[in-house]
Amino acid sequence: MIRDLFRVVGLWRARAAWLIAGLLIALGALAAGIGMMAVTGLAMASAIVAGALAPFAMLRALGVARVGLRYAERLVTHGAMFRALSDVRVWFFRRIAGSSAGGLGFRKAGDLLARLVADVEALDGFYLRVLIPLATVVLLLPAVIGLIMVNAIGLGLIVGALLIVAAILLPLIAARATAAAGDRLARATGGLRVAALDALTGLREVRAFAAEGRMIAAVQTREAALLTAQHAVASRSALAGAASMLCAQAALLAILIAAGANPGGAVIAAFLSVAAFEAVGGLSRAGALAGHAAAAARRVFEAADAPTPVPDPVRPATLPAGSALRFEGVRFRWQAERPLVFNGLTLDIPPGARIALLGPSGAGKSSLAALALKVAAPEQGTISIAAVDIATLSAADTRARIGWLSQATHLFDDTIRANLLLARPEATEAELWGALEAASIAEVVRALPDGLNTWVGEGGARFSGGQARRLALARTLLTQAPILILDEPCAGLDADTERAFLTTLNTVAEGRTVVLIAHRLTGVERLDRIFRLSNGRAVAAAG
Amino acid sequence: MSESHQRNAAARVWLRREQKTGWRPVRPVLICGVAGVVLAIAQAFCAATVLALALGASADTVAPSPTAPLIGFALAGLGRVVLSWLAERSAFQAGSSARRRLRSDVFTRLLHAGPSMLRARHTGDLTAIVVDRIEALDGLFARWLPAAALAVIGPLLVLIAVCAVDRIAALVLLGCGLAVPVAMACAGIGAAAAARDQFHAMARLQARFLDRMRGIATLVLLGRTDSEALALGAAADDLRQRTMRVLRVAFLSSVALDLAAAVALVTLAIRYGSALADGALTQPAMALFVLLLTPEFFAPLRGFAAAYQDKLHATGAAEALADVPPMPEPAPALTVRTVEARGVTVAFTDVRLTWDASRGPALDGLTFKVAAGETLVLAGPSGAGKSSAIEILLGFVRPDSGQVTINGADITDLVPQALSRLTAWIGQRPVLFAGTIRDNIRFARPEATDLEVEAAADSARVTRFTHSLPAGLDTQVGEGGYGLSGGQAQRVAIARAYLKNAPLLLLDEPTAHLDPATETEVLDSLRRLAIGRTVILASHSAAAHGFAGRRLDIRDGRALQARGVA
Repeated sequence: MIRDLFRVVGLWRARAAWLIAGLLIALGALAAGIGMMAVTGLAMASAIVAGALAPFAMLRALGVARVGLRYAERLVTHGAMFRALSDVRVWFFRRIAGSSAGGLGFRKAGDLLARLVADVEALDGFYLRVLIPLATVVLLLPAVIGLIMVNAIGLGLIVGALLIVAAILLPLIAARATAAAGDRLARATGGLRVAALDALTGLREVRAFAAEGRMIAAVQTREAALLTAQHAVASRSALAGAASMLCAQAALLAILIAAGANPGGAVIAAFLSVAAFEAVGGLSRAGALAGHAAAAARRVFEAADAPTPVPDPVRPATLPAGSALRFEGVRFRWQAERPLVFNGLTLDIPPGARIALLGPSGAGKSSLAALALKVAAPEQGTISIAAVDIATLSAADTRARIGWLSQATHLFDDTIRANLLLARPEATEAELWGALEAASIAEVVRALPDGLNTWVGEGGARFSGGQARRLALARTLLTQAPILILDEPCAGLDADTERAFLTTLNTVAEGRTVVLIAHRLTGVERLDRIFRLSNGRAVAAAG
Repeated sequence: MSESHQRNAAARVWLRREQKTGWRPVRPVLICGVAGVVLAIAQAFCAATVLALALGASADTVAPSPTAPLIGFALAGLGRVVLSWLAERSAFQAGSSARRRLRSDVFTRLLHAGPSMLRARHTGDLTAIVVDRIEALDGLFARWLPAAALAVIGPLLVLIAVCAVDRIAALVLLGCGLAVPVAMACAGIGAAAAARDQFHAMARLQARFLDRMRGIATLVLLGRTDSEALALGAAADDLRQRTMRVLRVAFLSSVALDLAAAVALVTLAIRYGSALADGALTQPAMALFVLLLTPEFFAPLRGFAAAYQDKLHATGAAEALADVPPMPEPAPALTVRTVEARGVTVAFTDVRLTWDASRGPALDGLTFKVAAGETLVLAGPSGAGKSSAIEILLGFVRPDSGQVTINGADITDLVPQALSRLTAWIGQRPVLFAGTIRDNIRFARPEATDLEVEAAADSARVTRFTHSLPAGLDTQVGEGGYGLSGGQAQRVAIARAYLKNAPLLLLDEPTAHLDPATETEVLDSLRRLAIGRTVILASHSAAAHGFAGRRLDIRDGRALQARGVA
């Protein structure tokens, strides 16, 4: 629990200056507050006992300092926290990206979203409500206890003990008591988000199968789990708060009892302990929150620490120019218990070659691309680009050489232009249109009132299946990679468009290597070689 | 502008109504709060008595026993602890019961608004409404409502108590207390807009991240991780700035309060201090009583200021909820038509539909008729309107004009459940949920037996690929069908249609992603599924040739001409 939280603090290093500034201002604000109460107490005591005039100027100064510092504290600590949290979010995204060249797999997008949003947010309480008050209280507690003891030793001991109980002991107990509930709370929040997202993503299926009632029930079940967890945390937090309040009341009672013997000391002690208990009051509740923060941190790291499927070598080799792609004796399967996809696959694709790979579904056509892109690594054999084993290269270098249109290529919820620019950020207007022409979609885009600035919708939802596919294709053509691997580029296209595209492809990708993965050929493709994948090998076919 | 005004007005009406309906569970919180204030006054009285006796003792050398006020103080203190605990518990109940009610309500409305909403809004955005917006409303019921009421009653009670001993002190407190809501109202101008912006920024960030997660492989393979991380950082930064804008206002209201409290305390301290020093004040107990009560006067106001951001967030949430279409009025009993399940006929008469005015109509006077048990192939290039016709039949969207009838009944008169009972659908991109293949097939009919699920899997040729998997039908698939090829996922969707066994079969490019061998198999099983049913098949591919049926060519949302058997 503690380790995860410390690791979070480690991620905040870049914002250390802000975070520490927040802490110092908080310290100043608390000191001013306690000072104000101490002076008021002193003033009252001396006025009542000795009839002396109180130091009002000092009181005014402290009051103004208190109000100003409190505002500054809130602004600075919150600002610092949000900066640190947005760092954590970016860090999280990078980590997920590092392990997701092959997609999310069995991970759920909604679950990752829950971790990025809710779990990262839960971490803010750790700095704002745990670290800050704890640090300020620990630093100021000795001063407060000392001040009381100077005037009344016994009272100082009792009030001090109660303060330590409220500031240290109760929060610890609360943290321990809510660790399990905090963990349930973090998971339940994620569960609710996933359930809602599932139903909304499958809204078409839900309507078509009249599953509304079931989906509502699913969300209600998750919500009930969330409320139960929240209730567990809230009732423990309420108990912790009540216990802390009880300490404060006990301290005041002790002060009142002692008042008969030492009225002056009691008045000072009363004002001081009101201020001090106000400062520690939130800590017990914060203890109850710490369990949630720790669980949230654990969930963030759990997702972020997913292993990279094909880690980069420690010192990657430099990739020479060239685009010869070669598979040699490759043996591969996706999982140990799954059957072999390739067994001794050898395939030579010289620079600029245009080849077709045919085979039924499940023959491993997509696996071949995954291997070349370092999404997966072979059990045996080597894959090389420009005669360099890609195992010795960085994934980024390898991927820069290969443009891939996969079955799962995603259109982002953005404009057509932004989607295309992903492939080549510096592309000119003419190059964008060129790619659209080549993918036989330019005419459609030109007819749109917003042209390239048309929003494509979630997953390209504002376009028909075939149009979305062609936009993705245009993006792949726009990459400057010398090797293009096109996995069923014509899936979802009608026969005329398919022919038009394949004809353009013959000229468009001039000079680049083209690997066309298909179920069948139409006859218009200009190809150098045709291979058929069967029994885990590539066999040259007539062509 | 007027649209946003309308939305604001709708949100205000909604908030007012909610505050009224949400009051009942809030009442115990308020009662605990008021009782707590009364006890605080009692405590201040006891404490002042004890202190005054103690202070007086040193002067008069008489030490009367302070036992009674001490016991009173202790009991009142205990009572306050218990009350604050009770208040917190009831506040949680108030918040959670409101959330439960509102979440079910908005989620039901979203589901009933249906898939046409997905054209305009991202699922990440909609999920934020169901999850985060509703969570944000917790504060309205758990904190803002009780705090707002207590902020009037609590200070008034204290004021009455103070007035009984010192009218001028009461006036000082009243003046400082009144300054708080005034200052908050000034600080709060424009704060609601800031809160709305903040929530939009959060929803945008969520939608963006979700979208990027779904396409993460595309991003990584294009080498765009870094630039996307920067963009995400910028979005997160935008969220921070907007959040801070809301918080600055909320903090300012706390400053106003701190300032008022400090002014009151210092003024009263000076007043009593100089009076004591002059010897004008003979009753130190009174001064102590008032001074001890000063924090209690401001405590409810402090709660009010702290809950101010809850109010801001609730206002933002109310606007988002007002945006979700309301549930349709329950149709009057007369118009709910039951449609004979056997032998479904479908007719389109001059149907027009425009998704997006700037992009022209998707359907532009489409007319056709399908007899019971007949198969109609809607053929045409992508974007011709085939899918739109099918979406109308599925009830995803209503035609702008023209009429669509099923067995003579206008489709708009049918309740969604009745329509769903009639139709089975296999779309271009079937959504598979994370879970087992079996669960995904059973989605079509949750009450189906294992045997029925297996029979459907068999008919759709799902078992062809699952029997080589170690867990068979119980193999886990990831979101979006991860672990299955496109063809395999399509076969799972066909199995759903088999399991559903509905009389009208709507097929939207069912073999778009299949290789020829699988396509033949799937078509074979679809043909068997089609026997005795009315079938509408949208297709541009050769698949149409595999289906014996009448062919209708569509271009630009209109039927070209009817041909004979394809």
